[in-house]
Amino acid sequence: MIDAFSRHRPLALLATVVLAQVLLLAFQIKRENNVRLIRYWAVELMTPLERAGTWTFSHIGGVWSGYVGLRNTRAENERLRNDVNTLRLRNRELESQSAEAHRLATLLNFREAHLEAPMLAAQVIGASADPTSHTLFINRGERDHVRRNMGVITPDGVVGKIVEVFPSTAQVLLINDKDSGVGALFASSRTHGVVKGSGDPEPHMEYVINEEKLQSGDALVTSGEDRIFPKDLLIGNVDEAKPGNPFQVISVRPAARLDRLEDVIVLLTQQELVPKKSEEASGAGEATPAQTSAQVATPPTTSRSSGVVTDPNKFKPAATPVQAVAPLNKTPGAKSPAPRR
Amino acid sequence: MAYMLNVGAHSEPNVEVHKFYGGTIIGTVLLALVFQAFLHKYGRWSELIDLPLLVTIYFGVSRRNPVSGLFLGGAIGILQNALSHDNPIGMYGIAKTIVGYLASSVGARIDTEHPLSRFGLIFLFFHFHQVILAITQRVLLNHSTPFFTLRLLIDSVVTAAFGVILFALLDRLRRRS
Repeated sequence: MIDAFSRHRPLALLATVVLAQVLLLAFQIKRENNVRLIRYWAVELMTPLERAGTWTFSHIGGVWSGYVGLRNTRAENERLRNDVNTLRLRNRELESQSAEAHRLATLLNFREAHLEAPMLAAQVIGASADPTSHTLFINRGERDHVRRNMGVITPDGVVGKIVEVFPSTAQVLLINDKDSGVGALFASSRTHGVVKGSGDPEPHMEYVINEEKLQSGDALVTSGEDRIFPKDLLIGNVDEAKPGNPFQVISVRPAARLDRLEDVIVLLTQQELVPKKSEEASGAGEATPAQTSAQVATPPTTSRSSGVVTDPNKFKPAATPVQAVAPLNKTPGAKSPAPRR
Repeated sequence: MAYMLNVGAHSEPNVEVHKFYGGTIIGTVLLALVFQAFLHKYGRWSELIDLPLLVTIYFGVSRRNPVSGLFLGGAIGILQNALSHDNPIGMYGIAKTIVGYLASSVGARIDTEHPLSRFGLIFLFFHFHQVILAITQRVLLNHSTPFFTLRLLIDSVVTAAFGVILFALLDRLRRRS
């Protein structure tokens, strides 16, 4: 190196002197924003090196954190997966409990609205094995004073009647079973008929003459003539009405969700259900503000939540009103709403 | 042009190195700079002649020492910049450093005593000086300085013609061996 420098000494000196003068110039010249050229060059020279250094260090860090540091990640991932599965299960439990609480609150509201009528809450525990038979089993039986031909309802409407009673269970014949028949009348016209099951999901209203003017959505309530259900319990609404011979063919959309029953009410009497006035109901049940407002907001002429129609002329199908959750009056044998583990 | 190329590496040892009386080089350089500044007061025609460049070329080819040539050129250029106000110091310095180096190197290889060869040398170095100056200004100052124009051609011819006369005068300051 030194030898080469000595051999080309004049040329090296020339380069040195020129370079020195270039640096001298760079120190004097200013570029945009009053930045000296030498500073500009220094930054331009150093920036790629700094960028390369940053890139190198970040990649080394990335390799460390992405590979070396991940040696415990597999176990952690496994643990987190287990946590997620546990939490999913727990979430499903809570959702189920929430739905159950909602159903029980509905039943409780209904019960509080008819304190004078003896009734019994029951849970559906099974259904018929025969697909053509629309029956189900409840967890109430002879020990709970359940007898044959007692009516079974939900706050939404009529479900069916008790056909068989066992010591701790009972069989309910749904209103859409082909052997079922419920004395009914149109809420608006008070025209009588019988709601009979046909084996289809929807029962039919029979013995209604062709001259009767019907509209889809007309409410059907119990007439009390069958001596099973009290008068004016909502059965359902007219789904479709066609002229027939000699009577109209009227299919009825049940008010109660017969395919999704979980909690029902067994009527221990045929006493007519007259809903209490909202003030009494709220006072008797120590209802929450939400419950009170819901009950006050319910028109006095109709009581959809109680399943009883008091002024059928003004009844129109409506969405289920807000139901507040209230403490449930436990009955003997009733399943506890406490969280299931 | 053959007479210009009294050339060849084998002829280099026979090349004569001219010596000057003491203070001649410094005095001539200062006079050239002063005259250049003085003439600048009298209008555009003074810009036709680049006296510092002529002095650089003359002492470069006479001394025939590249190291002294580049230092002399650098010093003259820096002084020339220092006396001006519109160019940063070093702009002429770079150009004249390289010209001084090349003039010394060329002076050691070719005949630089004949007036015609001197005219050619000055003419070429003038344009070479301009090219370096333009490159430097383009790169460092972002100026679009031209490499060649008709005006530069006229300047180079006038400077070369004046340089032939000046070189003959400066020859009288040589120390006789």
